[in-house]
Amino acid sequence: MKLAWRELLRRPQKFVTATLILTLIALLLMFLGGLLDGLINSSTQAVSAQRGSHLVFSDKSRLSFPSSRLTEDQRSAVAQWTGDAQPGGIGVAQFGARLPDAGPRDLVSVALMGYERAPQGVPDVAPVDGEVYADEVLRADGVAEGMTLLIGPARVPVTVIGFVADVSYLGQGTLWGSLSTWRSVQNANRPDDPIGPAVVQAFVVEASGSWDDNPPGMRIMTVDEAVSALPGVTEQRATFGQIIGVTVVIAIVVVGLFFALITVERLGLYGVLKAIGARARTLFAGVAFQAVVLTLVAAVIAAIVAFGLDALIPPGTIPFQMSVGRAVTSIVLLLVAALVGSVFSLRRVLRVDPAAAIGSAT
Amino acid sequence: MQGRWCWTGTEKTWRTIRHAAERLHMVGDAMFLALREMRRAKARFAFLIAAVALLAFLILFQLSLQNGLLRSFVGAIENQTAPVLVYSVDGQNVAQASIITPDLEAAVRALPEVGAAGRWTQGSFAASAEPASAEPASAEPATVESATGDPGPASRTGELVDVSVVGYDTEGLGSPVVSAGRLPAAPGEVVASDADASAGFAIGEVVRIEPGGYALTVVGHAAEIQLNAGPTMFAPMETYAAVLRARNPDARQPLPNLLALRPADGVTEAALIAAVNGLGDDLAAYTRADAAAQTPGVAEVRSSFSVIFLLYGIVVPLVIGLFFLIVTFQKAGALTLLRAVGIAGGRLVRSMLIQVLIVLGLGYAIGVALYTPLSRQRLGQIPLRFEAGGVILWAVLLIGLGVLASLVAARRVLRIDPVEATTGAGVGR
Repeated sequence: MKLAWRELLRRPQKFVTATLILTLIALLLMFLGGLLDGLINSSTQAVSAQRGSHLVFSDKSRLSFPSSRLTEDQRSAVAQWTGDAQPGGIGVAQFGARLPDAGPRDLVSVALMGYERAPQGVPDVAPVDGEVYADEVLRADGVAEGMTLLIGPARVPVTVIGFVADVSYLGQGTLWGSLSTWRSVQNANRPDDPIGPAVVQAFVVEASGSWDDNPPGMRIMTVDEAVSALPGVTEQRATFGQIIGVTVVIAIVVVGLFFALITVERLGLYGVLKAIGARARTLFAGVAFQAVVLTLVAAVIAAIVAFGLDALIPPGTIPFQMSVGRAVTSIVLLLVAALVGSVFSLRRVLRVDPAAAIGSAT
Repeated sequence: MQGRWCWTGTEKTWRTIRHAAERLHMVGDAMFLALREMRRAKARFAFLIAAVALLAFLILFQLSLQNGLLRSFVGAIENQTAPVLVYSVDGQNVAQASIITPDLEAAVRALPEVGAAGRWTQGSFAASAEPASAEPASAEPATVESATGDPGPASRTGELVDVSVVGYDTEGLGSPVVSAGRLPAAPGEVVASDADASAGFAIGEVVRIEPGGYALTVVGHAAEIQLNAGPTMFAPMETYAAVLRARNPDARQPLPNLLALRPADGVTEAALIAAVNGLGDDLAAYTRADAAAQTPGVAEVRSSFSVIFLLYGIVVPLVIGLFFLIVTFQKAGALTLLRAVGIAGGRLVRSMLIQVLIVLGLGYAIGVALYTPLSRQRLGQIPLRFEAGGVILWAVLLIGLGVLASLVAARRVLRIDPVEATTGAGVGR
């Protein structure tokens, strides 16, 4: 191990190119992971933040807010079915919002959420009609506290009275208001598809049970299931998971290739070391140690670059979101890849014959 | 004189042939050396070929994924028949979010630059597919022979699927270009995306919109007309309105989401777009290609994948360059000795370049072989396609960059001084 460490310190140039390649692979891994997190979070936060264990949709809605309609009668049925006396109604309306000083064609995409039971981070009591809390991400678009936004082609005014964080929905910043604010915005802008006075799109309930059946005309599911049912979430997770998996395999191959070459170069030296008593285990530990150190250096550089990218990429261009958790996961994956890759050199190290090596050296 | 000319000509030809033969012999020699070395170090070259193959596979797979994603997002916009589409500014280039009010529609229709105008609407619905033998619930059921008799995955599992339904009111202006079957001729008939045929949308199959159970019969297919990465059907406006009413009995006659325009004779698309945009700040007109490109998410998908491709594109030549550099270092003694016994540096470099080409060629071929079966699959709702142009482009790029990267090692080989065979310096590090 000491020998391996000294070699790294005294001949770092020998390892520079391999470290560079590993840095790029680590960056790729983190970029892919950050892209996945950015895409998923910007789509699902508003649903995953709901304070409740389950969501209820109409049974033919395919768990889609816009397609779901639930009436007051169904509210009572849900309360009886789940044991939650006060199911919280939710409604979503997606429109463009006009800002006071923006150009007439410069609109901001918003999802106006009507709520009764506040999700995490949103004040418990819904604001009075015509007022909303705005998602922090809308600050980048110029939305400010006290500003009146005109929603949709009908230009329904809503006033921002504060900001809430981590509640984006399908890639859009959200506005959180009362159910009647949501209905008035929806009905003014979509008179061809009106929503009745007590109708909502879904209910949030807190219930400890699990059900094989659903309430009549409805579909009940956990919040996690509802998150996975959002358009594209499952597909994005599966696709990026596969790409990340193959990238880790490439990291294994690159580490394996590099250290196999280095091992070939050192066969004579290993022979001498074995002849003077070094065990194969010690020699392999040196190879594995170097692989881990190189990978760690590469991964840390990549993580710094990835966090830098996160800070530099302007909002609305690439949905990239780097987190400590993602960086740690990627580093752990790469370290495992480094160890697995270095195992390819084990066979050669074990096969070194000290006598033959000394013979060839002389 | 003529004889001399003939003799000179023959000599030149002979010399050319001799040169060609010598070159061929040199290449043959280099090839022999390259292959011999590869045969002796199978494991390390196999590793390198595997790395190139995996990288090539990933690049090509992601290329298919990117293009499939974009086609399934906006194919219906790009491949419908209207050359110009008009959105409401409030829709922010999302068809479903755009609404053209009657006064705006009237203003557009009154423009002299407009040759023809049609309405275009789009909505998302839940649907289940069933065999064509089932009796459709539409007012005038279509009688279409079942093409396959296959009820499709949706009905087989009894699950609902998300579908997009597009309504148009003028044939040839916003309608799709049919690749099989025909355009709808009766209420309840639709044209579906051919990519969804195996998902319960084959010609002759019946799709029920839920809630309401309104039956739509697929009578034709069109290529690349998906929207929102899901099954998509085009229907005349009266069918679309019936679908809407089946889901929501309170629904009124739908307002158009977009206007589909064709310029008047002698008017260019650009002039028509300028005229529509000149009406005020409520409307935004685009060519169909621009409308697809401006759809939210399209630019983000392109830029995200560009970064990924750039990183992969850098990794491949670096891996190749590093490998051959290390191998050159390892062979330093042998290479110096070869130079000392009179082997030209160029011959050694040729041998190395042959190895580079074999590794890249073989690795890329294996990558393409892995990619080919995958490129015919569906990834969730996204139909993938074999991207022939991309395969050729990336082959040229990766092989070119790989050869360039290996030139560092080639430079080292050329710098070997044969005299060093006596001193043992070899390739300096």
